[in-house]
Amino acid sequence: MDIDDLLAEVAVDSTPPETRDLQELTRCWVAERVAPEILPWPSDLMDRVLERIRRQIELVEDQTGNMDPKTNFKLIIIQTELERFKFLVRSFLRARMKKIDAHPIHILAQHTASTSTFAPLLSPSELQYMTSHQSLLSNHYSSSFLSQFPASLQRLDDTTGGISMVDKPDEDKAVFVRAMKDVGDIFVEGTDRRFEMKRGDVWVVRWSAVRRWSVGTGTGDVELI
Amino acid sequence: MALPLPPGLTPPEIAFLCEMELVTVIPRQRLEGLELLGGPIRPLNPPYRANIPLWLALLLKRQRRANILPPPWLNTHSLTAILDHEIEHSETFSPPPRLPPQPSNHTLPTSPPFLPNSTADAAPDALPYHWLELGEMLLEAASDDFEEPDHVRKLLRGLREVRMAKLRSGVEVLDAGGGVKMNGVGGMEVGEGRAFVTGVIDGLRKITASREQQRKDRDREELENGFSGTADYDDDEMDMQ
Repeated sequence: MDIDDLLAEVAVDSTPPETRDLQELTRCWVAERVAPEILPWPSDLMDRVLERIRRQIELVEDQTGNMDPKTNFKLIIIQTELERFKFLVRSFLRARMKKIDAHPIHILAQHTASTSTFAPLLSPSELQYMTSHQSLLSNHYSSSFLSQFPASLQRLDDTTGGISMVDKPDEDKAVFVRAMKDVGDIFVEGTDRRFEMKRGDVWVVRWSAVRRWSVGTGTGDVELI
Repeated sequence: MALPLPPGLTPPEIAFLCEMELVTVIPRQRLEGLELLGGPIRPLNPPYRANIPLWLALLLKRQRRANILPPPWLNTHSLTAILDHEIEHSETFSPPPRLPPQPSNHTLPTSPPFLPNSTADAAPDALPYHWLELGEMLLEAASDDFEEPDHVRKLLRGLREVRMAKLRSGVEVLDAGGGVKMNGVGGMEVGEGRAFVTGVIDGLRKITASREQQRKDRDREELENGFSGTADYDDDEMDMQ
């Protein structure tokens, strides 16, 4: 990046950082609700958003005693917006939890592989939730029936016989996407399908064919809708 | 705690998304500037117009603190023209609004609901992504700000019918590979069509899964061996049938 790029960036991007974070969070939320697999945890974004929500709650608590009607109405607006933000964050986290509950062993393997990169798949609390939930589950299974099986049949992640016991999300599931930049040729593996995706286009396409351009998992040139 | 909903947004969630669209209001009361979580709101001074998110505009409207200026595409003249276009071109949806200039490489590109497609200076000749939700919400909460609310409502209903028919007739082109272009489709239409469209594509994919797997293996093999002969392709097809 040289100085011209930096200047161009400043000139174009006059949007306040708060607004950009809202746009990013909204995009992450929609993507997480739509994508068949769990997407990397946007840790910087979430840190900023949660910190702002915390400060806003403090502000509301500070001013609630104020009976001046003008401030009161301002407070109504602030609280309405606060609730909207809280809904976004909550729905985002719950969508992730649903995926964690559905495929814990698969996600743990993916997460372990991702810890060396810059974008770990799960947040620390999600990891904690998943490991303790999973250990409770496996303890329960083994105390209620698994312990009575032969030792060779007690595993929960058996891969013998060419079939893995570990459930995986369907990565070829069709998704609705919108290109935010010219992406170029998309090739759907295993078929003759090939097409060009241009900025602004909306396509129904397999997740596996676009994931390397997607928000979260790839370059971010394609968003899920 | 985990979300009990299936993948894809539900209609209330799509409406929630649509409430982030910017609309133009004419305030009837002063309102000081606000520092909100999603960025600052500039002070509202009657009678100067201001662009604010739809959720705030609806809040102000319900308390009679502002009037909403419907976007230019949401009037009888524009909607009639768009409806004519939709009926004339039975294959595709009417084109979406023109995109803003390409942002530089280092910035986050914006997309609906954050494009100013529903403010007073939006394009009058194209339906934006959240057209149906926005239209319905404005007609419900601010019908007195429209010139002919009933006529607008009728046109919206007509547009919805025509476009749903297109979405349904588009089923014929669906196949296992996916890759269907749907430019101009609306948010609520995606929500309504999602379960069916993706269900058909996924179902067809599962039927042809074994053939596809063969094809994949062969493609990979060819890639490794570095030869691009597809001479035996037809034979394989025959064997399959």
